[in-house]
Amino acid sequence: MAKYTNYLMLLPGLILCVFFLIIPTAIILRIGFSESVSTAEFEIHGLTIENYVKFFTAPQTLNILVNTFGTALLACLICFIVGYPFAYFLTFHVENEKLKAYVLSLLMVPFLIDWSIRTIAWIPVLGDKGIVNSALISLGIIENPLNLLFSRTGLHIIWLQTYVLFMEFPIYLALSRIDPELIQAAKVLKAPPHRVFYEIIFKLSLPGVICGWIFVFVSTLGDYLTPGLWAGGLQTLGLSISAYFGKNVWPYACALSTIMVVIALVALYILLKIVDIKKLIYES
Amino acid sequence: MGGIPLVKAIVVKNMVKWYGKEVLALNKISFEVDEGDFFVVIGPSGCGKSTLMKILAGILDYDSGELYIKSQNMKDVPPHKRDLSLMLETYAVFPHMNVFYNIAFGLRMMGKDKEYIKRKVKEALELVEMSGFENRSPLELSGGQRQRVALARSLVIEPSVLLLDEPISHVDYMLQRKLMEDFKIIHKKLGITFILTTHMQEHALTLADRMAVMNTGVIEQIGTPDEVYRTPKTVFAARFVGDINLVPGEVVSKEEKRYIVKTDVGEFSSLSLNGDDLVGKKLAYAIRPEFIKVDNDAKACENKLKGKLVRYYFFGNYVECVFAKGKVEVKAAVPAEQAIKLRLDKEYLIGWLSGDSMLIEKPSVIEGLNIEEVIYGK
Repeated sequence: MAKYTNYLMLLPGLILCVFFLIIPTAIILRIGFSESVSTAEFEIHGLTIENYVKFFTAPQTLNILVNTFGTALLACLICFIVGYPFAYFLTFHVENEKLKAYVLSLLMVPFLIDWSIRTIAWIPVLGDKGIVNSALISLGIIENPLNLLFSRTGLHIIWLQTYVLFMEFPIYLALSRIDPELIQAAKVLKAPPHRVFYEIIFKLSLPGVICGWIFVFVSTLGDYLTPGLWAGGLQTLGLSISAYFGKNVWPYACALSTIMVVIALVALYILLKIVDIKKLIYES
Repeated sequence: MGGIPLVKAIVVKNMVKWYGKEVLALNKISFEVDEGDFFVVIGPSGCGKSTLMKILAGILDYDSGELYIKSQNMKDVPPHKRDLSLMLETYAVFPHMNVFYNIAFGLRMMGKDKEYIKRKVKEALELVEMSGFENRSPLELSGGQRQRVALARSLVIEPSVLLLDEPISHVDYMLQRKLMEDFKIIHKKLGITFILTTHMQEHALTLADRMAVMNTGVIEQIGTPDEVYRTPKTVFAARFVGDINLVPGEVVSKEEKRYIVKTDVGEFSSLSLNGDDLVGKKLAYAIRPEFIKVDNDAKACENKLKGKLVRYYFFGNYVECVFAKGKVEVKAAVPAEQAIKLRLDKEYLIGWLSGDSMLIEKPSVIEGLNIEEVIYGK
């Protein structure tokens, strides 16, 4: 009897999963293979692979794929480069626990501000007559304002502000869980500072790093609003999907969604494979 | 001893270490360790043993004082450039490396080639009797095995000084006995200097060539186990090394070569060993339990006392009997065959020879302590 009650505890989660994940995903998958959908009565017509054929034979496809996953990966890299040293500093060089909590909660501030306001707030900073450009011009470093706002540079600056937290937190957690005596032991065992960092600190923080990469990767991949608004005509899968849904072309939009999810899963799988944590940690 | 200038393995002079502004972890500690010695630092937990070890290893800074390893000043010398190794109290085995890589770590950092590392790791594993465990994760090992890995890891880099922080206390009793033997054997085999900390006196007495008794940031006494046991300089040292009966008293007179000490439970005598005149001084009159004689055996003793047997503890070959008179309790190690005849709550005559007793002047090297408070507690 106890066995069944154990399984009973899974039920709420299972119901949620079935209704809000599995069924919708199945519907999207199905629509992706259909000829047309009458949205009023919600009837799905036909069974075809034409949507996929159309996507993979389109001339701009490769470009879109590279843009989509390239920008997401670049965003991960930028967040990592900024986030890791910050998390490291916070863990090992800030002793005041209150200050740590304060700084970490400051990182959450962008999430407390509405998306549109947060985005518009960048105009006075990155715009042609914004702080950055004015400063650079008055210092004589540049003559004409840099195109910061409606460009990939602007996109990555805004993404960094928004998503660095997702990189920061897991890395900070992983770092702060490292037993200081492991670091001391490594020092006594003849490890100079840079090797203490790589062999002990970095390797033990890898689970956090990978977590951060996945968080930022998934978030930036799914974010089509920001690139749509700021990236100055950058074509991504997310933007295509929203465009086709907007034009009521559901089958093609669903096919694109499926492609994006599959590629994202494959990319994550490869990410976890390339960075085989165990291998990286055990044998160096 | 033909006038060969001995290089000391470790010289510590007036070492001071503060934690923040409140906690004085080390209060002007000085000691020297000869090369090849097995030196044991004994003291209660929180006395500063681990702090001292970490300072020697260089992973903790000190506030003032001097530290020399093999006559070389260690100021600003980082830990990886010191010719020593430390096995931490928590073992600190790297969780992300298997046993082989844990032990190989130091050699890899020293830039040794792969074949050499393989050979050395194999030898080290044999030394600690862990052959065949190379590919195990530390998470799959028992506490004792993890400790062996930590020991092998420290030894494999061939330091000339090995620091062992509380290496024995955290395993079960049978393993403790085995480890003590192992440490002795390994020390003899390698011929390097060992410095070991412990809070258990039997480890110190068994292992040490020389020992230091520590008490909240100070060293109470340094000497061979025999010296510390027979001639403790302070009440603290006497208590921490071996069992002892202590009663506060005042020296009232000196007759020939013996002092008469007046205590709450009578006047007792003790031999005066050195020339100091102790008359009029308040001090602790001390005697080890094994020198207390009971019943008929006590009749011939110079010092006698009638006490009621209030408790006893069986230790196999002897029974520790506690006799009480007033608030003074006297422990006696009574041979089992004699103890059988004793009855609880009966009064017995106990006695001891003046030559077996000790007079301890100072409660501790820490100033300002009251001897009665130290003996009876507040």
